[in-house]
Amino acid sequence: MKILLLIVVLMAPSFTPPASAHEAGAKSGMENKRVDMPSGERSLAMSVALDGQGRLWRASVRDKQLRVDYSDDAGKTFSAPVEVNPQGEAIGADGENRPKIAIGRRGEIYVSWTMLLDKPYTGHVRFSRSLDGGRTFFAPLTVNDNHEVIGHRFDALTVGADGSVYLIWLDKRDLVAAKAKGEKYGGSALYYAVSDNQGASFAANVKLADHSCDCCRIALVVPPKGAPVAFWRHNFEDNIRDHALARLDGKGEMRRVSHDEWQIDACPHHGPALAIASDNAYHFAWFDNAPRAHGLFYAQSRDEGKTFSSPLHFGDDAHAAAHPDVLNLGREVFLVWKEFDGEVTSVRMMRSRDGGTSWSKNESVAATHDASDHPQLVARNGRVWLSWNSKLEGYRLIALEGAL
Amino acid sequence: MIRCLFLIALLASSVAQAQAQALKPFVRGSQQAIMASHQGKPFILALWSLDCTHCVDDMVLFGKLAKKYRTLDLVLVSTDAPEHKQQIARLLHRHRLEQAESWVFADGYVERLRFEIDPQWYGELPRTYFFDAAGHAIAVSGKIDADQVERWIWGR
Repeated sequence: MKILLLIVVLMAPSFTPPASAHEAGAKSGMENKRVDMPSGERSLAMSVALDGQGRLWRASVRDKQLRVDYSDDAGKTFSAPVEVNPQGEAIGADGENRPKIAIGRRGEIYVSWTMLLDKPYTGHVRFSRSLDGGRTFFAPLTVNDNHEVIGHRFDALTVGADGSVYLIWLDKRDLVAAKAKGEKYGGSALYYAVSDNQGASFAANVKLADHSCDCCRIALVVPPKGAPVAFWRHNFEDNIRDHALARLDGKGEMRRVSHDEWQIDACPHHGPALAIASDNAYHFAWFDNAPRAHGLFYAQSRDEGKTFSSPLHFGDDAHAAAHPDVLNLGREVFLVWKEFDGEVTSVRMMRSRDGGTSWSKNESVAATHDASDHPQLVARNGRVWLSWNSKLEGYRLIALEGAL
Repeated sequence: MIRCLFLIALLASSVAQAQAQALKPFVRGSQQAIMASHQGKPFILALWSLDCTHCVDDMVLFGKLAKKYRTLDLVLVSTDAPEHKQQIARLLHRHRLEQAESWVFADGYVERLRFEIDPQWYGELPRTYFFDAAGHAIAVSGKIDADQVERWIWGR
């Protein structure tokens, strides 16, 4: 009897998988384990922005550091990176939740990221700025004014026409509040914050919408006039994950953009893209995997999101067409996305010269044989580039003008 | 005597845990290997990840079903990375799924791994395949339904 007991006591611990160092202090229970994918040593996920002089600025993550560097030769070489957060922190750096960078009206460098916390699916939206041309950065701010250890993640950053800094993210505070009252709450909420003092501080958080999808990037774009427009995958009734649009003007008026009826109790990890032209045409690109609408789609709106064109299916479904970006220069509209043929990942492009009515054939503009980031489009002075990072080739900035 | 039996049962369960299957690296060709080793046998291939909120619910369900149906042939593939193996092992342990054949993505070129599993799978999770003995599968994206799985189990 005693011998048996001894054997059990001796054997039991060895069958428990060992806890890692940072979990040691957490109480048991899976909700206390880190399950977000932290930055790792070096993530492929990055963002770029061009400033008024044509300098390419880049935000990336390495070893718990958000790094900013720049290139004056179209991405061939980069400056020595400046580390933005001297106190290292776990930083979200995957395809949908990547660091962001934006340039202010007076050359300010603004960056945002999601600091991952020790509980799964939790984080804080962090922000920093440089007012000396990227030489030094201010101590990071936490922008979400709810500081519970819950989800404030998937930040998107932009600078308004008046120079105000806008940050928007997916926020779990309403879910937590609903649960505390014993009520149900589907998905996350979208909250945003605005700074009118070059990012020195942000005004109180504002809720834009309830019930977004939980883990898709948000597209945040500045129209020619007025407040930025957000475009995201929404969680409509019965887990229908179609796309919605709203302006960050305090009115909270939401419009449904797609009607694909993708009903799924899952994480698509596949957010949409938006571009707004100088003529105020809205160009949308998104992915859905609904029985009636499978793959990538493009649509446009000529009346600020009141009515929409019929969605145009693009990309090759047999090659897993995914992760689109859209950008326009007046009536010229560019779409890029990723495809995979079983061996090679390529970025495909198609182009419209008439505001998105007719399109060129699509073609490959870059390829790789290993892991790669989502494609991003950037423009300046009537030129458009594909920004793409891949494991084998490294960072590439590819001019798209001559592609047709 | 009852205490003694209880301890023997505890010991037996510890021994069972000791036989937990090792987490296998899912690389190029692993999908073919899984298909080959299950040739002629119906099985469930469940893709999941630690950061997928809905996947945990499926793990709870699979844990219950694995206990109820000892012959359930379950293959779990985590789309995380080998460096998360401890967290994966803890989650499997928590849901008593140590006995299930378990894999973890071990190639950064995830597009190729996904394509080998199913060109029509875009990485949404959970993603579950119900393979029949002939190797044909029904694919389900999103949380699975207990009744649906039990119907499949009875219909094997």
